[in-house]
Amino acid sequence: MALSYPADKPSLMSIQPYTEDQSDALQEVVNIAMGQAGDSLARILGNFVALSVPRIRLATGKDVIKTVAGMVDNNAEISAIRQTFSNSLRGEAVVVFAQTGADDLADLMGYDTVLDSSAKQELLLEVGNLLVGTVITGIAETLETDLSFSAPSLVAKCTSLDQMLVAEQLSWSHALLMEVNFTVEGCGFKCHLLIFMAEETIDTLRGILDEFMDGI
Amino acid sequence: MAVPVTIVDDSSVSRKMLIRALPPQWSIELTQAKNGEEALAAYRDGKAEVMFLDLTMPVMNGYQVLEQLQKEQFNTFVVVISADIQPKAQERVKKLGAIAFIKKPVKTSDIAKVLHEYGIVLSC
Repeated sequence: MALSYPADKPSLMSIQPYTEDQSDALQEVVNIAMGQAGDSLARILGNFVALSVPRIRLATGKDVIKTVAGMVDNNAEISAIRQTFSNSLRGEAVVVFAQTGADDLADLMGYDTVLDSSAKQELLLEVGNLLVGTVITGIAETLETDLSFSAPSLVAKCTSLDQMLVAEQLSWSHALLMEVNFTVEGCGFKCHLLIFMAEETIDTLRGILDEFMDGI
Repeated sequence: MAVPVTIVDDSSVSRKMLIRALPPQWSIELTQAKNGEEALAAYRDGKAEVMFLDLTMPVMNGYQVLEQLQKEQFNTFVVVISADIQPKAQERVKKLGAIAFIKKPVKTSDIAKVLHEYGIVLSC
């Protein structure tokens, strides 16, 4: 299934960027949610997980692919899972794994058998779901809003990031992108969690962030 | 007498959340620092009898602040406030001399408990 935001909506010439306070609040909210996800991942892997500083960008539709490519910076083949979220905010979360992601995870989790293709997919779906679920739940809790999310599906299997993004047919005029990454030092495991919020959600989120800041 | 307290976080929103979570009856003289260097400067100025320290910051991060404090006299109570809540992060800062580790978003009850435990605030 492709990302399906209305492409025929009149494209706004520009979306008002977030104020410094709004950006700062969003950064902190994502940071808190990412910390919880990193902790969940560390517990199942039994390893320390290094967390990145969240990157948040407002991109126009045509720049989305370029912006994501710059954040993920992986020219090799990747696999990725995707989940949609909805209710007060609407968008997509994608977890991008390196080609060796499933094998690295299996090693870290102490699997002693070689995984076949379907077992690898299962593992990526499970770990991706854990990260997305924890981050989305964390964001919703901190902002005191309701978000629900779909079951994960595999959207890329050993393909290039560009191919995945093109196949996803990003079709909105603006998107708010958030990227965080999780690294297990010493074994080369790294995955990126990307959150895409569609244009109508950008303003909704602005209101939610203002309310959040009024409360602190 | 007001206790000199420094809070260290690069995020102004995060500093606001922390200030709001401090026990209201605690009499303090507050200094805010945006990174580790500013935190150390405040400490050397005697403005940090208690320091609330974030870990992930530009210029100088929380771990580096703790390491530097160890080289100096370390005459301060450092409470780490972090979104990274992994047990290994907690162990590491305790080894570096922090008295406590409180997860973000901070709750007044978590701070009050630590302050009480160390006799910094007797009733809160």
